[in-house]
Amino acid sequence: MANKARVHSPDSDTGNLIADSALGLVPETLQHYLDLTVAIWDKGPLAPAEIELARLRNASHVGCVMCQAVRYDVAVEDGLTEELVERINDPEGDAPLSDRQQLILRYVDLYLLAPKVPDREFQHALDELFSKQEQTHLALLMAYFNGFSRCAVSLGGMPERMPRMEISVPR
Amino acid sequence: MAEAAAGQQATFATSISDLPEVGQHFLALYRSFWSLESLPAETLELCRLRLAQLLESDIAWEHEEVALTSMQRDQLRRWPDSAVFSAAQRACLELTEMHAMDARAITDEQADAVKAHYGEVGFVALVQALGVFDATIRLGLIWGLTSMEVDQ
Repeated sequence: MANKARVHSPDSDTGNLIADSALGLVPETLQHYLDLTVAIWDKGPLAPAEIELARLRNASHVGCVMCQAVRYDVAVEDGLTEELVERINDPEGDAPLSDRQQLILRYVDLYLLAPKVPDREFQHALDELFSKQEQTHLALLMAYFNGFSRCAVSLGGMPERMPRMEISVPR
Repeated sequence: MAEAAAGQQATFATSISDLPEVGQHFLALYRSFWSLESLPAETLELCRLRLAQLLESDIAWEHEEVALTSMQRDQLRRWPDSAVFSAAQRACLELTEMHAMDARAITDEQADAVKAHYGEVGFVALVQALGVFDATIRLGLIWGLTSMEVDQ
């Protein structure tokens, strides 16, 4: 993984960490990124801690050090704990995740490892615990976070490790 | 996601109809890549199609966002050995393949090759676009779409 940044960030100080990052260099896409970021957190039915569960599972798959270090404050306020985070990669361990949480992780894995229409059993399980709107939210947040984390890795400047870092949704 | 009625096409529009407040922003982001100053739309279309091949999505492969020559479409799978792609396109296609396999494995040389043609802004735009194109293809597969048209 590239430790040295491959691009310079824009010379801006808006206070929005997306706008002030390298993503701010592409004027045609920036506002859409900002709008989508807020919509993912504010406009969907899944709770922030559930969004964070999916985001962190994705970050682990992609190997994005920064994405794994970040915790969104809204998710922490919603009940996301470090004990829960530890279980993301061991969902059936000593203190297993709830059925709903396990389905979120299973959906993330389907999206990343073998994207296809869920089989009958998995779709039935999803329908039992998630509304159609929640399932759409889950798919769209994966589309967003997976693309974002791959982008972050590709741009370089990623350290070998980072301390846990709580941030707010960039608005 | 909302299910298409029997006989109706399954499109992005039908799939996001339960959550347009989020879905429309994703589609707006996707659309924004086709009019960049920093990268030609034809080059991005080659990259999108290469991702469709790598993810084995027939529907994404059959979709045409930008018209290309039939030679380029026909030879895309063999792009390293084909003479119909420019040096700039080849740099982008090489980055596309690495991004698809493991973004951590992208080398500085591969990034520099893209920057040599399109600058830092073009490089950022490309890695953004690859993430969004990859996502549209995955959504198409997971939602069982019958059309990749985002404006239907």
